[in-house]
Amino acid sequence: MAPATRIECDVLVVGGGMAGATAALAAREAGARVVMARKSPGSTGLSGGAVSVAQDPACMPDAPFAARSGVVESARRIAATRPGHPYQLLRDRLDRLWNAVEFATGQFSSVLAPPTGRNRWLLTPFGHAHPAAACQRTMAAGDLAEVRGTLLVCGFEGHLGWDPGLVASGAVRVEPLGGPRPRAVLLDLFRWEEGALGKPFDLARLLEAPGAAEEAGKVLKRVLVRGDAAAVLPPVLGIDPAARVQERIAAEAGIPVAEFLSDLPSVPGLRMHRAIEARLAAAGVEVLGGEVRGGAGPDLPAAVGGREVVARSWVLASGRFVGGGIERRGELREAVLGLPVQASEGPFADPSIRFAARPSATLTLADSRAPQALLAAGLRVDGDLHPLDAEGRVVHPRVFAAGAVVGGHDPASDGTGMGVAIFTGWLAGRAAAGRGA
Amino acid sequence: MSKARSYAWLAWRAVVPHPLRALRRRGTGEERFLASYATEGLAPTSLEARADAEAASGCISCGLCESACTLRGAIPAIRSLGLHAAFRLCGKSDEMLAHAATELSACATCTGCEPLCPTGVPITRLVRALAARAAALDAARRDNPTQDR
Amino acid sequence: MAGPAHQEGYDVVVLGGGVNGAGVARDCAMRGLSVLLLEKRDLACGASGASSGMIHGGIRYMTSDRNVTALASRDAGYIRHIAPHLTFRIPFLLPFATQEEGSRLLDRVTWYATEVYVGTYDLFQPLKGGKPSVRLSPDELYRLEPGLRPGLHGAVTLDEWGIDGQRLCLLNALSAVDHGADVRTWTEATSLVREQGRVVAVRFRDAVTGEHGEARAGVVVNATGGWSPGFGRSNGFPVPMRPGKGVHLSLDRRHGNYGIICTAVDGRQMFLMPHEMESIIGTTDDDFFGNPDDLDATADEVAYLVDGAASLVPSVREARITRAWWGVRTTLFEYGVEEDDLSRDHRIYDHAADGSAGLLSFVGGKLASYRAQAEELADRVVALVGKGVKPCRTHEVPLPGGDEVPSPRDLAARHGIAEVVAARLVYRHGSLAWEVLRLADEDPRMKLVLCRDEGILAAEVAWIARHERVRRLQDLRRRCRLALGGCGGLDCARPAAQIVARELGWDADRLRAELADLLEAGWRERRAVLDGWQLAEEELLRAVHRGLGGL
Repeated sequence: MAPATRIECDVLVVGGGMAGATAALAAREAGARVVMARKSPGSTGLSGGAVSVAQDPACMPDAPFAARSGVVESARRIAATRPGHPYQLLRDRLDRLWNAVEFATGQFSSVLAPPTGRNRWLLTPFGHAHPAAACQRTMAAGDLAEVRGTLLVCGFEGHLGWDPGLVASGAVRVEPLGGPRPRAVLLDLFRWEEGALGKPFDLARLLEAPGAAEEAGKVLKRVLVRGDAAAVLPPVLGIDPAARVQERIAAEAGIPVAEFLSDLPSVPGLRMHRAIEARLAAAGVEVLGGEVRGGAGPDLPAAVGGREVVARSWVLASGRFVGGGIERRGELREAVLGLPVQASEGPFADPSIRFAARPSATLTLADSRAPQALLAAGLRVDGDLHPLDAEGRVVHPRVFAAGAVVGGHDPASDGTGMGVAIFTGWLAGRAAAGRGA
Repeated sequence: MSKARSYAWLAWRAVVPHPLRALRRRGTGEERFLASYATEGLAPTSLEARADAEAASGCISCGLCESACTLRGAIPAIRSLGLHAAFRLCGKSDEMLAHAATELSACATCTGCEPLCPTGVPITRLVRALAARAAALDAARRDNPTQDR
Repeated sequence: MAGPAHQEGYDVVVLGGGVNGAGVARDCAMRGLSVLLLEKRDLACGASGASSGMIHGGIRYMTSDRNVTALASRDAGYIRHIAPHLTFRIPFLLPFATQEEGSRLLDRVTWYATEVYVGTYDLFQPLKGGKPSVRLSPDELYRLEPGLRPGLHGAVTLDEWGIDGQRLCLLNALSAVDHGADVRTWTEATSLVREQGRVVAVRFRDAVTGEHGEARAGVVVNATGGWSPGFGRSNGFPVPMRPGKGVHLSLDRRHGNYGIICTAVDGRQMFLMPHEMESIIGTTDDDFFGNPDDLDATADEVAYLVDGAASLVPSVREARITRAWWGVRTTLFEYGVEEDDLSRDHRIYDHAADGSAGLLSFVGGKLASYRAQAEELADRVVALVGKGVKPCRTHEVPLPGGDEVPSPRDLAARHGIAEVVAARLVYRHGSLAWEVLRLADEDPRMKLVLCRDEGILAAEVAWIARHERVRRLQDLRRRCRLALGGCGGLDCARPAAQIVARELGWDADRLRAELADLLEAGWRERRAVLDGWQLAEEELLRAVHRGLGGL
């Protein structure tokens, strides 16, 4: 029997990234019939393995880990100091932020480790220690705030992709904050041509082969010395969590083993993407591939991938530029419903300033380290996550926005990207399903 | 040499040598142009190829497509180059395309890559189109060995 | 690289590592003089690295002096001969357009005159291995270039050579070193030392190590380009110049195989042309009296260029523009003349009359004639130095790698790399591509492909770091176009930095600082043109480099 071409549901979620997935699952949990429309897997597949929610903006760089604020407290500080940031908009509901984080990490518990309330500090390939409220299970043991003893930072003898000395320098810099002393070493692995020239995905698959993880564990064990408390390895410890590559290496080596975070191409990102796919399917969210065409909003038919969807509520979680929710072709526009792009950072956080048609150079600063208004552009929303039109009125009482499509934060600059996605996704999903928060 | 003499010389060229040369020439402008350049691999670019190029420009180098790409039978050096080189290195110029025939023919058209692309590059269609053009350019190049820079 | 500069003197000290500085350093060294070249940043950081990238035959000079055209075409032929791997052919279309429908008699006469003019240029094409021009009817034109807007009346074609100006500078400098010269990059000449109205030494400071030095000089050549007037002012000699800022845009791929000459809104001639792996839209020309270190591309310059190209090729508006780049032309000074009408000629100033005997300044000129310009300059140097020297051979001795162009297929088969990558290696290194791949044979890990916009292997990065005067990571932008494509270094910046760090002995902190510097340079160029897919790329770049990298 052919699937029905017309689907009626309670919630249509547009967008398949972290925000969209959290919204869809939150709405499902509230009992709604949920359809997700997405034209691509979203930018979650490109993430490095960390779930960054909030870092305390008032914290001195040399404050010890133990003395730093927890995640929610940090989010409150951001809300208090950053006009236009989604946390500020939702400041009265930040007490629910942790519910949202626990919900998301619970939904994806096959890949994500349970969060503790404090930021984990994870090494990256660039020699930086990155704070994240949650991370993948394969990474938790590498939390610099928890390792007691020497941290062995590993690269591969056979592969030029990662420089353990560079990675370890990130730990050197936070040693005074209570982090472990690092020791850089090359593991004698991947020395044959297929390994030397492999992409991260190839290396991950090689490690999933029978006996490969044990072999790696043996190689690791050979270089251990007294005092080594944990080892971090390049982020290629298998793609399928069922292969348990990280655990098997740790068991063989007799020491906790973790991945450090990943740049691109990202094996952890692929894992996250697959975990989202699996969870959506298991929860009964109907996922349609394709762009939303001809849909003006709730109660009106929207064409998606050959089907017609009529939903009572919409959650727009279409992402920013990578996701395709916001695009700029001469002018900034929101791609699905044509809503005005009028929220941003810095001076352009002021709602009275129309900036969507300005040249991109005027929306950026010469100092690349500074937050960039262009990269923070998105929809203006109210405290209930309803997008607003040019006059500041709610566009539709049953249209919500979540994730990077909401303006007001440059995720690369403030490290709140995933947090905004999860929090707004959870709130929007529940609201769309008719459950208040 | 004064400007006046230069202009006089050009005027002379306009009236006598240039028309005489035109009379003696064989073939249309287009034929002569193509005879000059097509053998060097500088052929006209069709609108289809332009549309393909525009689609290929959506690649943001994330590498996700390669997680699904089997690159059937490819040697490690070509695996190292990877799938998304098709839209970048290989697909940017006809000359590179001529060199990329082997790489592009490694595509098994399994379409496992396409659902993963965040910007919606029509990977399978593009790689197939590029592979076809690469094979044609490579064959043309083999017939014209002087073309190898 | 310390040592010799402190103890000995040099016959000639050249200030400035652009194409004129590197060219004259090569010529003098080949003739047997001892040479020191000082460049305050990296080779080709000025106009030589921001030119349109063509060695043309001086077609515009047929109206004033066709001997100049002959010389320019012959010199373009010489450059082709000494660096065949660096040059590539670009056929240009010069479409005939009218503002309204139909054409008037005056239009048709103008078009015939253009056809004659370009046809006359055919006389000089054989000097540089160029192809003859043809006249195209409207139908023929649209078959060759279907992307042109409707309503054009045919065209005339023109053949010119493109070149990688930055590698040209590099190869001249390396050739100078092969003939005994000392080349110091990231070393700024801070002041000139005079004795009795004669310049006798140059004081300098190495920006990387901080060390100071002094080199005695028989002759000093000031080839500092856009920095000349400022350097002159600080050191007590005048350099008359009208610096002209020029901006170009790069598109992420070739839009086609033919360049299109179009007219901008103010009537200036500009172009959209394929250039190796990208397309270039250029250029502007505006007086610039500010600090050449402090340049940017403004929104209206970008719009000017896009509008001009789109006037003939509307699809340019949908194309992915990856960056904007700029430089300052060292145009000869003339008062009361518009920028476009200024002479592109060159002049050599002898500052003996300014109380600085033994000091020569080079102003003006064009990249295409650099070799002849350098020869002329070297003749003047030799006259001042007063030593017996060998004759000039810069026109016949190949630049490093220019003696033979290997077949990419051979390289690929012999060394087990992808053929496309071999082709890029040949383009950048010519016969030295074999040497580069020898590194890959010694260490198989070096066959890792780092960059998929330019086909850069790990082995190439290591070789460049060892042999091509690399002192900072950003130098690789000019050596092999690292991180210059649309990807902005997403794939390649960190792995390349790791390799350079290993070669040059950088610790992790230095590595991170260099990486940050490289990324900053890219940001400056991408900022002005962020749009469409390039903006999506930027979002990803920032997430990885700022978010994950903390850079």
